[in-house]
Amino acid sequence: MSAVVTPRHRVARLAPGRIAIVAGVAIMAVVIFAAVFAPIIAPHDPYAQSMLARFRPVSAEYWLGTDQFGRDTFSRILYGLQITLWTAFASTALAMVCGTAIGILSGYHGGRVDRWVSAANDLLMSFPQMVAGIIIVALLGPGITNLIIAIAITAFPAFYRMARSAALALRERDYIDACRVLGYSDIRIIVRHLLPETLDDIIIVATLWLATAVRTESSLAFIGLGAPPPAATLGGLVRDGFDNLLDYPGLAIWPSLAILIVMIGLNLVGDGLRDANDPRATA
Amino acid sequence: MLLKVEGLRVSFSVRRGWPFPKTHELKAVDGVSFDVRQGEAFGIVGESGCGKSTVARAILRLVNLKEGRVVFNGIDISRLPVRQLRRLRPKLQMIFQDPAASLSPRMRIGDALAEAVRVHGIASGKAVDRLVRDALNEVGLAPESAERFPHEFSGGQKQRIGIARALVLSPSIIVADEPVSALDVSVQAQILNLMARLKAERNIAFVFISHDLGVVRHFCERTAVMYLGQVIETGQTREIFDAPSHPYTRLLRSVSPVPDPEKPALAEVQEGEPPSPLDPPSGCRFHPRCQFVTDVCRTKTPVLRPFGGGLVACHHAETLPPAEL
Repeated sequence: MSAVVTPRHRVARLAPGRIAIVAGVAIMAVVIFAAVFAPIIAPHDPYAQSMLARFRPVSAEYWLGTDQFGRDTFSRILYGLQITLWTAFASTALAMVCGTAIGILSGYHGGRVDRWVSAANDLLMSFPQMVAGIIIVALLGPGITNLIIAIAITAFPAFYRMARSAALALRERDYIDACRVLGYSDIRIIVRHLLPETLDDIIIVATLWLATAVRTESSLAFIGLGAPPPAATLGGLVRDGFDNLLDYPGLAIWPSLAILIVMIGLNLVGDGLRDANDPRATA
Repeated sequence: MLLKVEGLRVSFSVRRGWPFPKTHELKAVDGVSFDVRQGEAFGIVGESGCGKSTVARAILRLVNLKEGRVVFNGIDISRLPVRQLRRLRPKLQMIFQDPAASLSPRMRIGDALAEAVRVHGIASGKAVDRLVRDALNEVGLAPESAERFPHEFSGGQKQRIGIARALVLSPSIIVADEPVSALDVSVQAQILNLMARLKAERNIAFVFISHDLGVVRHFCERTAVMYLGQVIETGQTREIFDAPSHPYTRLLRSVSPVPDPEKPALAEVQEGEPPSPLDPPSGCRFHPRCQFVTDVCRTKTPVLRPFGGGLVACHHAETLPPAEL
């Protein structure tokens, strides 16, 4: 903790993780582009059913075939990507903002408040993520907003711990004492002097948690707690495909592959950022 | 009197023991009193761990005090509500030991200085820039420094920045906690000269905390010697260093290097480390290391009393042989 990490050093240290980041960013760029422009790219209406076009194989017209209602799998994956990514980003952002804010306040304040909030956080963390997600969705009821809240709550402890431990360590540093001697308010010290120091780490955690959020969303959708039909999410598509897994395995495999690609992309970005930021990882 | 510290006590709780830890009270500062006049430099010396930094931090309310008062300009700041204290802060500034650690790493120097000015509404608009440039100029840094980040400066330059940050608030007293001990000797002299100039030109008072007797002697008019959280001798710096009364002050003097090769090295250097402040010795806290120890030292705690030109806390001050220096 003694070495002061300066902006210049950070740039220099990005080098080792660069390949992973470039690959990850490239994958995510394609994925996000596909999701955002789904209405333009998609060759078919993802919700349009056609009894004549059920279970079509891969063809020029239906790139990845059709499902049991004759809906185009490729188009549904694109729209599913949209909902899945939105859910992941929104829930991670929510967890990041709340977790970081409460974590920094708790760590900076210290004492009894910190002990109680940390104990509550540990309680939340002791639930396996999936179990917590299931309980919360079951309590809140189905729907994308509730899904986002549920995933955010399961992701909250990671941000809380990160921000709290950073604030706890930085609180003892001379420059925070200097701020107090200069007569700065606690809010100013936290926002202007503490937060910028922790932001790097928090963004790295956020990138890695995006991947987890995608996985949680897919898992919840798979057990039927995802976005309600007819909305397509990647997890929901896998689940629907499972009904005809033996006859038409593609229906489950294609969306699974899409999930895989998103996870790889997000993990590459996150790992790359982390390695670039961690002096030990480069040794 | 600009600053009056009365009966200052600071304790920390330490949990020790296994499997049932008990909370022990560590008395880091145990009844310290002194005062500082306008434009005067007051030195506090002592070994590491004697509580001198805690005194500095307690004056500035960076640690909570258990007992005692800190009166600044007639106002007791030790119990003042935080908001009112904040308004007084500009007049009571601090310089830190590690200049690198005392600057926000991601803030340009100019922004850091301007922030202090703006928070206290000392100036606004263009006047802020002028104040910042004047302060940088006063500590001997180029105006372009304002555009740069702390890591682009050397240790001595960073300490100058730390001083400039205090100066923009026009303080009447600066608490300097080992301000030069992290710097090279040549740079130490520059920083000391800068502080001496500020003292003379701006009439700023200093509480100067150091373990380096030579530096204190150069800079401070009056000095207090601390041992295990207590002041054991205080008075004019010159008198304390040329004719130390307390055996501990003599020990400090004898182990600090004398820049005179003709003088023979002193043979009687006492050994040992200071005892733990968790369990201070009975009676006079210095008795286990003192060569003049008698029975009364082991049982009765000496209090500060006038002796020579200053105050000393030793039962035998009158009967001790004159110090050989």
